[in-house]
Amino acid sequence: MRTRGAILLANIITGLTLGYTVSNIGFGDYTELNRMFTFQDLRMLLSFAGAVVIIVCAFALLRVRRTPGRIHAGVIPGAVLFGTGWAISGGCPAIPIVQVASGYLPALVTIVGVTVGIRMCRWANARYFHLDRGSCGL
Amino acid sequence: MSDYWPWWAGAAGLALITINYALVTDRSFGVSSAWDRVLHWRRERRLERMDEEFTDERALADALAAATAEHFGTSPAAPTVPPATSGTSQPLETDAEATVGEDASVTSPGPAPLATQAALLVSIFLGGLIAALTSGRFHLRFDMGPGFRNVVTANSTTMVVLLFVGGVLVGFGTRLAGGCSSGHGLNGCGRLRPVSLVATAVFFGTAVAVSFLLWKVI
Repeated sequence: MRTRGAILLANIITGLTLGYTVSNIGFGDYTELNRMFTFQDLRMLLSFAGAVVIIVCAFALLRVRRTPGRIHAGVIPGAVLFGTGWAISGGCPAIPIVQVASGYLPALVTIVGVTVGIRMCRWANARYFHLDRGSCGL
Repeated sequence: MSDYWPWWAGAAGLALITINYALVTDRSFGVSSAWDRVLHWRRERRLERMDEEFTDERALADALAAATAEHFGTSPAAPTVPPATSGTSQPLETDAEATVGEDASVTSPGPAPLATQAALLVSIFLGGLIAALTSGRFHLRFDMGPGFRNVVTANSTTMVVLLFVGGVLVGFGTRLAGGCSSGHGLNGCGRLRPVSLVATAVFFGTAVAVSFLLWKVI
């Protein structure tokens, strides 16, 4: 059983190393990101894909339990919206934090947008979409 | 010449972070889910308290059942309190989900406590700051760099509007899809979850299409 303190420490270490790694890979740099998405430079794409391959192998070797994960109604429309927003703003939810930490002050606007979008999702799903568990944290 | 890490170092770094978190906490981490829970902290705190009370009730019921069995010399009956349905708002499919076994009898450890999610977000900022300062890349600026200026817009007002709209799409989309590049992309794909493989393919494919449109057409 993992204690609350151990989970807190794990989250702090994960946050520090994730911010450090993502920044040093270049995900916070819009130029690098656009070069990845337009296949002008495969370095960041290989970083991400390489990480996934290592994780798949490690989880298989370590027998980390797999999670079932059903494809629910929000997955594809949500992923389309996310992909569009990522290409425009250069930020997935962690990246604007790293961008601000690197001195890109306009990324604060992206963070505001992300928080508005997250709150809108819960509100819209509860009021209109009524999607099942798996969407909007409901 | 880029001063960023080579691809293999980035791959090793991201993989180590994800594997270490899974082994230490028996959970997956997800940044969009952390944002979601921190932004709805009042509701999350209430649900955490309900979970704690429920745990106490269950422990009491189990103790009573054991004492009854000892007194009457029978095997303990099943607890009278029904099995837990996760009291928190985290759905099973979200990127901050706890790992759930393929065997249905394996219980989920539940989502990480709310305070740890806030710590994750603050730590990402500190980690990014350390990286920027130690690499010499830190530079306060009021634009998003030459790439954004050349590919998207050089106009400050348009930039602010697009960053806000892009942020809203990211926030709304990641929660609607139940995860982002860390939750679905690293943790979910690493576990070969079908939902994460589909989500990652779609959000990455869309980002590629929109980036080509911005680069070549608009």
